Amino acid sequence: MKFLISCLLLAAITFTSHAQSKLTIRGVVKDTTNIPLDYTSVLLLSPKDSALVAYTLTNKDGEYQFKNVEKQPLLIKATYMGYLPIQKELVLPETGDLEVEEIQLMPILQELYEVVVKAAKAPLMMRGDTLEYDASKFKVPPGATLEELLRKLPGIQIDKDGNIVAQGQQVQKVTVDGRRFFGGNTKMATQNLNAESISKLQLYDDKSEQSKLTGVEDGVKEKTLNVELKEEAKKGGFGKLSAAGGTDGRWSSNASFNKFDKVNQFSVIGYGNNVNQSGLSWDDLQEFKGSSSFQFGDTGDFGFNGSGGMNFISFSGGDNEESFEIPFNNLNSGYSNNQAIGINYNYLKDKKDFSSNYFYSRSDQTLESINSRTNFLQDNTSFTSTDQSLQNNMAGHHRVNLRFQNELDSANTITINAKGRLSSLTTSLASHQELIRSSTEQSQMDRNNQSDKWSGAFQGTAIYRHKFKKNGRNFAASISDTYSKADQNGIQKSVVDVMNSTDPNTYFRNLDQLNEALNGSNQVKSSLLFVEPIKKVFFWETFYNFSQSKSETNRKVYDVEASDTQELNPELSRFFDNTITYNRFGSSIRYANKGSNLSVGLAASNYRLNGQFSVVEGSEILGRVDKNYINFTPNVSYWKTMKGNKNINASYAMGVSPPNIADLQPYKDISNPLYIREGNPDLEPEVSHSFNTGYSMYDPATFINLRFSFNSTFYQNQVVQNQTIDPETFVTTYKAGNVSGGQRYYPYLGFGFPIVKTKANAYLSANPSYSKSLSLINSIETETQTYSNNFGVNLDLTPLEWLSLYTGSSFRLSKTKYEQNPSQNQDIINWSAYSNVNIKFPKDFYLDVKFNYSRYENESFGFDQKVPILNAFVYKQIGEAKKWEVRLSAYDIFKQNQTISQYAGQNYVSTGRIETLSRYFLLGVTYNMRGVEVKKYR
Amino acid sequence: MKLKYLNTLILILICTGLRAQNIVGEVEYRYRIFYDKIYSSLPHITQQEKDRILLTWSNPDGYSTRMKLQFWPEKSLYTFGEPYQVQSYSWQVKDYFIENNLEDQTYLKYMDQMGKTYIVRDSLNTPKWRVMNEIRDILGHMCMKAVSEDSIKGQKITAWFASDIPVPMGPEEQFGLPGLILAYDINDGMLIVEAEKITFGEPEEIITLPKKLKGREVSGTKYQDIVREFIQSSIDSRRAWMWEIRY
Repeated sequence: MKFLISCLLLAAITFTSHAQSKLTIRGVVKDTTNIPLDYTSVLLLSPKDSALVAYTLTNKDGEYQFKNVEKQPLLIKATYMGYLPIQKELVLPETGDLEVEEIQLMPILQELYEVVVKAAKAPLMMRGDTLEYDASKFKVPPGATLEELLRKLPGIQIDKDGNIVAQGQQVQKVTVDGRRFFGGNTKMATQNLNAESISKLQLYDDKSEQSKLTGVEDGVKEKTLNVELKEEAKKGGFGKLSAAGGTDGRWSSNASFNKFDKVNQFSVIGYGNNVNQSGLSWDDLQEFKGSSSFQFGDTGDFGFNGSGGMNFISFSGGDNEESFEIPFNNLNSGYSNNQAIGINYNYLKDKKDFSSNYFYSRSDQTLESINSRTNFLQDNTSFTSTDQSLQNNMAGHHRVNLRFQNELDSANTITINAKGRLSSLTTSLASHQELIRSSTEQSQMDRNNQSDKWSGAFQGTAIYRHKFKKNGRNFAASISDTYSKADQNGIQKSVVDVMNSTDPNTYFRNLDQLNEALNGSNQVKSSLLFVEPIKKVFFWETFYNFSQSKSETNRKVYDVEASDTQELNPELSRFFDNTITYNRFGSSIRYANKGSNLSVGLAASNYRLNGQFSVVEGSEILGRVDKNYINFTPNVSYWKTMKGNKNINASYAMGVSPPNIADLQPYKDISNPLYIREGNPDLEPEVSHSFNTGYSMYDPATFINLRFSFNSTFYQNQVVQNQTIDPETFVTTYKAGNVSGGQRYYPYLGFGFPIVKTKANAYLSANPSYSKSLSLINSIETETQTYSNNFGVNLDLTPLEWLSLYTGSSFRLSKTKYEQNPSQNQDIINWSAYSNVNIKFPKDFYLDVKFNYSRYENESFGFDQKVPILNAFVYKQIGEAKKWEVRLSAYDIFKQNQTISQYAGQNYVSTGRIETLSRYFLLGVTYNMRGVEVKKYR
Repeated sequence: MKLKYLNTLILILICTGLRAQNIVGEVEYRYRIFYDKIYSSLPHITQQEKDRILLTWSNPDGYSTRMKLQFWPEKSLYTFGEPYQVQSYSWQVKDYFIENNLEDQTYLKYMDQMGKTYIVRDSLNTPKWRVMNEIRDILGHMCMKAVSEDSIKGQKITAWFASDIPVPMGPEEQFGLPGLILAYDINDGMLIVEAEKITFGEPEEIITLPKKLKGREVSGTKYQDIVREFIQSSIDSRRAWMWEIRY
């Protein structure tokens, strides 16, 4: 004690040099039984904002002392564990020090502290003589009344008549948010208010109604319970509606509505248009799916993969017929009429997570296209076929997705996924093909095909994950089944007009056929994974994968001899059933420490391929496939995250893919007489060796970023289609074969930097690539090399609040060299530039101009096509909350639109052109409950 | 608040040290950050986007990291604790050390922020605390509420300090209250830091800074300027600054 005082004195001496307007404040803290409280915190606060001025502790005798306190209005506050903190205003003396009158701390009602503060973890708030706490922290069953909640609260009893007794006194009135509830009938309030809607309860002594009315203090206090209601729980809803109509009968409309709270998410969405939009936008898709937008790891595949490196998840969009996913970011070519409607419901409660949606989309598309393909022959000659076609596709898809995840406890999680799809597709094709062999030798064919297809698929997946008590030890198991069935009926007709040839086996043939195809498949998959941590930074990972897929193809082709006679064509009809069984067992050691990750693993895999072919089911077996492959695949990957947002990675992976079962069939397939397929029962699986390296950095302070990567793949026993072209008939015979020596190199370099920080940014990229492919063409090993140079420049300018400009250009030159036929070398150039300007004018007027310019060149054919496309939008937001928008849109102002593609293959070059929607104008209105979003920035 | 009171307090604490066993120890905090709420509060986010965030990637449990504070009457050390989940993949490379020294009124921060490693040394500048009339229990300690503000990051800070652990220390950048800060909260739940375990007595393994500190050495005021400028340019270019600065 003496020591303490001397310490304090020492402290006092240190600070007493400048006094005058300063004073010393001292006093003593005791409890209600007059026992001094030592070790009590005593605080000096400023009364206007409770700012902390000084603090100290009491000594053994409950004494405290503040020296050199600046003279200013002060509050003193004392707090001690288990006691209610006390706060009072100090009256400072004119001169001299202040002896504060004894502070008495009242113990917190034991029950109150235990039940409210400790057990319910509800903060206790002192407001004058009122104690307030958060009643929502008390657990009551759903639907419970206030009375049930009150019974749980310490110091409060409900007597048999339903009266509230608090601290021994009957509560006279109940107020809700400070207002009297139903004439002060307490029972009415306690039995009718829902406990879940209450946030706070306050119990205090109020003046009597009498004294409130008269203003004369009558000394009568009424025990009052005030109930504060919760603000509306996390709830929301929004909706959007937009409709536009325009020239040439163009129209577009979409609508969506969402309603959600903490537990439920509900949404509906629909669209219709004839302007080629056949999917949701990325934002709309997220709003539609809500909490189920981002679900990863639902495939249940464990273990390393054959491509090496990390698995990246990408969202690419599109509408794939075979996919269970809702189409998004999909713009059709040609002309199309599209409609869709979807409904989604998610339920999220505690550790249960359920999501479901149904989506129906249909599209009626007309495609008018011109394709040209030049095939090179070995004697430096070539022949060209052109195809002018009109295609009509009518597709409709019903898709259902269900997902349920339950975290049973902290150690066990179950995920169940069910997906279904039902599709119909009707296609009709009219085409006119011409074959130009030389200026004198020409022939032509008119085709007319129709097909109707129904297909359905179902996929169910269950994944179980378990975390062991030992931190880092994990187990996971998955099982899934995918079933699909497709039924197709079609008519194929072609009429040939041979100009200069009388050979019946020419390139073009007359056809009049009916075909039926019934395909089905079922795949069962299962995976196991076990991870064992070794010394914190090492992990031993073991996995097993199994899959078995059985599929059946039943294709029947009938020649229509006369209008009523159909003859089964045994050369084109095929029944084929096969089973592919896959087993893989692997193990890897991972090192993971301070951003460095190294994984070294080895797996043994086994593929079994079984199949048989016949003309129709039950007829004579034409051929059998029975193959068994065993491979060992090593896998190494390294990834390091470094300080300063830098990453470096390197990996090697060996991939094995078994031959396609159709390529193994030991007989000739002449179902397409122009392209005869010959099987090769001696095929070996294709082996790929992939080496990937990369580096990336991003400096958030300067906005500079750099990315570099180099990926290469080398093939062993690459499965290629060796071709033999009959120089007379031009019929190509394909026979699959193995060839080693194919390779691909893909470097990438990207560099982004600000020109003027926050105002102008640039991004430059270069990705040259090289690939070498080998195959036998007319029994000669043909090497095709493609060098491709791709350069891009992007500029983002946001100089002013009302102006943004995005512009960029990319240039791609791909040079294809044919080792054995250099005169046919191709230089294909694709050049494109875009710019996008958004200007905000006064009064919420906006102008948005998008310009795209593409140029396609191929000198050797004199092909040079320029496609400039200009779209412009003017819109105005209306109303205070900007909930309305009126928009005038102009698409393809230069009336240019066509979709162009160019490709140079091993012994052919092709170009294609699709006529698509051209200039049109739309005038539309949008209403958004949440205010229309302006997409001015990217 | 004036620093000399801290000094006085240290003296008292050192003097009463024998009596009080609870002025030296180690606290494990759960640092729980709610990126969805923070992201939604950025000025360029539209109402529709806020709803989209709330619907699609909001995480009611937040993202947790275990932090560790070791305290003595005259100093405190703060850094990352053991990870909650041992994972076979390691991302963590960033350093984050704070050493507060009350004796000579200085601090040292060694941290990876805004893509760089900074070594910040300066004299302690206590936040302006306002003590409120509210108590709450954290791990058996009665805690009082105090509030302050960070004008640079635009944060409203609500802290809970235990007056029965009379050391003016706390997690992250919080300190200077008449008791150990056992919990604090930023902007009503954008960040929640809460003590999960308190062990009194000399810590078994004292947090050590790397022997050689490599990084850019700056003063506290200079660092504040860097942060202010970074936040401003991030907002101007519609980027989320909280990925790069400790919230």
